[in-house]
Amino acid sequence: MTTDTTNDDDIGGSGYTLEQLSDYLDSGRTPAIEAIDDNAECQAVLASLERYGSLSRELVSRDATDNPALDEGWLSGLFASITREVKAGRDIPLTSSDPLTRLTITEGAIRGLIRSAGDSVNGVLVGRCSITGDDDVTVAVSISVLLGTPVHLAAEAVRQAVYTALLKHTELTVSSVDVTVDDVHVIANGGDRS
Amino acid sequence: MTDLSLASDAILAERSADGDSLAFSVLVRRHGPYLRAFATRLTGSSADADDVVQEALIVAWAQLENLDNPSKVRSWLTSIVSRKATDRIRARKPSSELDDSRAELAERGPEQRAIAASQLDALNAVLAALPEGQRQCWVLKEVGGYSYEEIAERLDTTVAVVRGRLARARATVVTEMELWR
Repeated sequence: MTTDTTNDDDIGGSGYTLEQLSDYLDSGRTPAIEAIDDNAECQAVLASLERYGSLSRELVSRDATDNPALDEGWLSGLFASITREVKAGRDIPLTSSDPLTRLTITEGAIRGLIRSAGDSVNGVLVGRCSITGDDDVTVAVSISVLLGTPVHLAAEAVRQAVYTALLKHTELTVSSVDVTVDDVHVIANGGDRS
Repeated sequence: MTDLSLASDAILAERSADGDSLAFSVLVRRHGPYLRAFATRLTGSSADADDVVQEALIVAWAQLENLDNPSKVRSWLTSIVSRKATDRIRARKPSSELDDSRAELAERGPEQRAIAASQLDALNAVLAALPEGQRQCWVLKEVGGYSYEEIAERLDTTVAVVRGRLARARATVVTEMELWR
């Protein structure tokens, strides 16, 4: 690339070089520069740059589509590392008939219970859940409901299911189960890939 | 049995943050191919890309609780991948086998561009033939959407160097793609 004369770098007689056009593009074309905006050649170069930028993104997406399979060995290596790092959370004490024994249940285990209880309700997927308190626990669950599912009925069913599961499988005293519906999904929803 | 493969990114990210490894595995399968493609473009090596994406996903699993907007999980994962990829690029020895294979690519570039069946294939050849530093800047800017400052920090260089490399990369891409047309 020649850099010795300004004439060589100048685009369409605008007085601007490609490097300056690059900067202009990256600054969102603000503040507007008339000499660039009114110059057909500059506009063509800017349009090409934008086009090749978007084609580059397309190229990466195409690479991904062309190679959709992840190596199973690679995946199992990854999942082995991940399951080693269990998100147990804090220990929550359970009552015990033997005063010498201290029983606890991890927050992670309770979350697992809550998720499976909530998911068992038709048209419901559990998102986040939190457990606060030790003796009297308050549970907060966010859910997504399938489009067309009556929201109030679904939320109430989740509340009941979670409450029942906690009573049955833990000795926690559950003071309340708060259910928030913060999403609606459709059955063909493959996720937000935007 | 709940079919998590239909769940939205937001739900899966929330469940993963709560420790649901099954939900995380659905996210990995959904976005893994894209992350790997991005890392391959950035590092220029599919072996490096595999390592980088794996490291990034392990970090992501540990840090998911800090993700503010769970529906943006893919771009969040992409940013961790780009950090891990640039760490690896910086740690590389200046001369490695990779440079040889890239020099080969550079020689084949114009030829491949000439026979490219589509504009995408032509761009592919042009990008492959770019000097490494320019290609990294191009990928971080155009695909990753990072600012000059972020790219400079990631590649451990100055904003002026990034601006220069990007301008040269753009000049090459525009000129070479004109020839293809």
